[in-house]
Amino acid sequence: MKKINLGTIVLYILLAVGGLIMIFPFIWMLISSMKTWAECGSMPPTWWPKDPTLENYVYAFKTAPFLKYFRNSLIVTVLCTGITMFNTILCAFTFSRLRFPGRDIIFSIMVSLMMIPYEMLIITNYTTIVKMGLYDTLAALIIPFTSSIFYTYILRNFFLSIPDSLYYSARIDGASNWQYLWNVMVPIAKPSLVTIGLLNALTCWNSFMWSILVVGSVNNRTLPFGLFAFTDQAGIRFERLMAGSSIVVIPVIILFLFCRKQIVTGVSKGGLKG
Amino acid sequence: MKVTIKDLTKRFASRDKTGETVTAVDTLSAEFESGKLIALLGPSGCGKSTMLNMLSGILPVTSGKIYFDDKDVTELSPDKREVGLVFQNYALYPHMTVLENICFPLKIKKVRKEERIAKAVEIAKMVHIEDYLKRLPKELSGGQQQRVAIARALVKQPKLLLLDEPLSNLDAKLRIEMREEIRRIQRESGVTTVFVTHDQEEATSISDYILLMKLGVMQQFSATRDIYNNPANLFVADFIGNPTINQIHGVYVNGGIKPDGSDEIIPCSIKANENDRVVLAVRPESVLFEGGQTTGTVNDMYSSGKDWLVNFNIGDTELRGYCDADYNVQEGSVIKVGFRDKGQFLFNEETGERY
Repeated sequence: MKKINLGTIVLYILLAVGGLIMIFPFIWMLISSMKTWAECGSMPPTWWPKDPTLENYVYAFKTAPFLKYFRNSLIVTVLCTGITMFNTILCAFTFSRLRFPGRDIIFSIMVSLMMIPYEMLIITNYTTIVKMGLYDTLAALIIPFTSSIFYTYILRNFFLSIPDSLYYSARIDGASNWQYLWNVMVPIAKPSLVTIGLLNALTCWNSFMWSILVVGSVNNRTLPFGLFAFTDQAGIRFERLMAGSSIVVIPVIILFLFCRKQIVTGVSKGGLKG
Repeated sequence: MKVTIKDLTKRFASRDKTGETVTAVDTLSAEFESGKLIALLGPSGCGKSTMLNMLSGILPVTSGKIYFDDKDVTELSPDKREVGLVFQNYALYPHMTVLENICFPLKIKKVRKEERIAKAVEIAKMVHIEDYLKRLPKELSGGQQQRVAIARALVKQPKLLLLDEPLSNLDAKLRIEMREEIRRIQRESGVTTVFVTHDQEEATSISDYILLMKLGVMQQFSATRDIYNNPANLFVADFIGNPTINQIHGVYVNGGIKPDGSDEIIPCSIKANENDRVVLAVRPESVLFEGGQTTGTVNDMYSSGKDWLVNFNIGDTELRGYCDADYNVQEGSVIKVGFRDKGQFLFNEETGERY
């Protein structure tokens, strides 16, 4: 039998406590969302709702079109991430594999652009979007975020670590640059790409400030904005607010549970080298 | 396919950005006969890998021409040259199985799936890796990976197979096994093959022809047997052969060589100019321990199985020679030695040229 020593026990207790602290707000959110108003505000708080109800969810769906918000969020996230990944892959390949005059200078300039804080770009991006006539459309949420220097930088460094001999080998095997990129480089870089994709998708999914600025109508709201608007409608009815929050959070949790394996290996294996 | 190289030159910009260039290959011309195995041999940095990369099209040439048969391929990109290349580190695609690796060149050519699998399996059988088709490269040993790399290079039926130091990552025993395998595979496929090595033994044991290079300049290009028996200059004589050739530095006087540090004259049938500084080079197996006239002192003896390798001095020069196991000498013995005509060469000390 495997020996269990004191250190391991202490370690596991600490981890369990940490885990509980992390998960508690979520559990509390779910529990509260099933309470009545009276119970929700009662002191001392009850652990389990005396009379569990789904009424708050019904209310939330009735008052705010969460399904529409969800659909909008999904469209924005998928398109943003997809286009960003495509651009990132091409850009990283260009700056790691192809040789042309001024390549390193152009790349240095690009990297130095990362120094500009996001907040500074908001106003210029806003005017651009308005001038393009895209105010209050989903496109306004997508177009400004279809490329990323940071991800390009990470991926380029990963591409640089792939030995030259693979490239030459593929070229001699008859592959063009394009075929080499998609048949060899991208599959090898899969762990890195998963990590980048996930980070990007999370950022998109949670993006809040920008959507408040460029989207007005209910039809084009994404989940974070929708939830924010819902707080007005729900007022101080916390149990309704918690139901709304649960609606926003649950799909992401389900997604995580399904993709957990890829996410964990992606982050630990490819990691963020560079 | 016959390969003709004409005045091939490659210059690289020097690393320190002084604008100077380094010449890696210098106006090299040669012709590789169809279906032969040619070794590009030379010490590190002699330009042999650069040569190979120019043949494959990875490196553009600075000047000169490369012809495959009669077609000028100098400007052709690697994917259009119909060559196969095996890298020193094999360069297998790590995410593909053995079968997928071998199929890759055919997949790029858009060969139908059943057909490419059939071809890949056929080649896999030839290189004896048909049992590992489902594995990933990292699950294979070095020798197996190399076979896969060769299979991948051969599957598209290249007209020229290029091997870049194919054996240097293998252990000693496997290396000998694999070089015989390469020989067999080359014979079976009949493809003109050029392989790069710095190991003269490897080159002499399997190749038909050897092209020996030094600092980008071709020293000799001839049939493997000739390069040993008939070296063009001192560098070639010194580079080929194990143990290395004996070198006696001295002055050519009265139809013989007066070695440095000795007053005796070693008779020599090769003619040189009187009073030239020369190097007499003698293969260890051409040293005669009976019937010689030159005095030597034995330093050491090693058994090399069936015969002895005797380490002795003539004047200041240390030499080695093979003798029969029953030849009776001890350390410190004074002996008389002579040199056989075969395996004896005379070079100019300054230029290294052969008389």
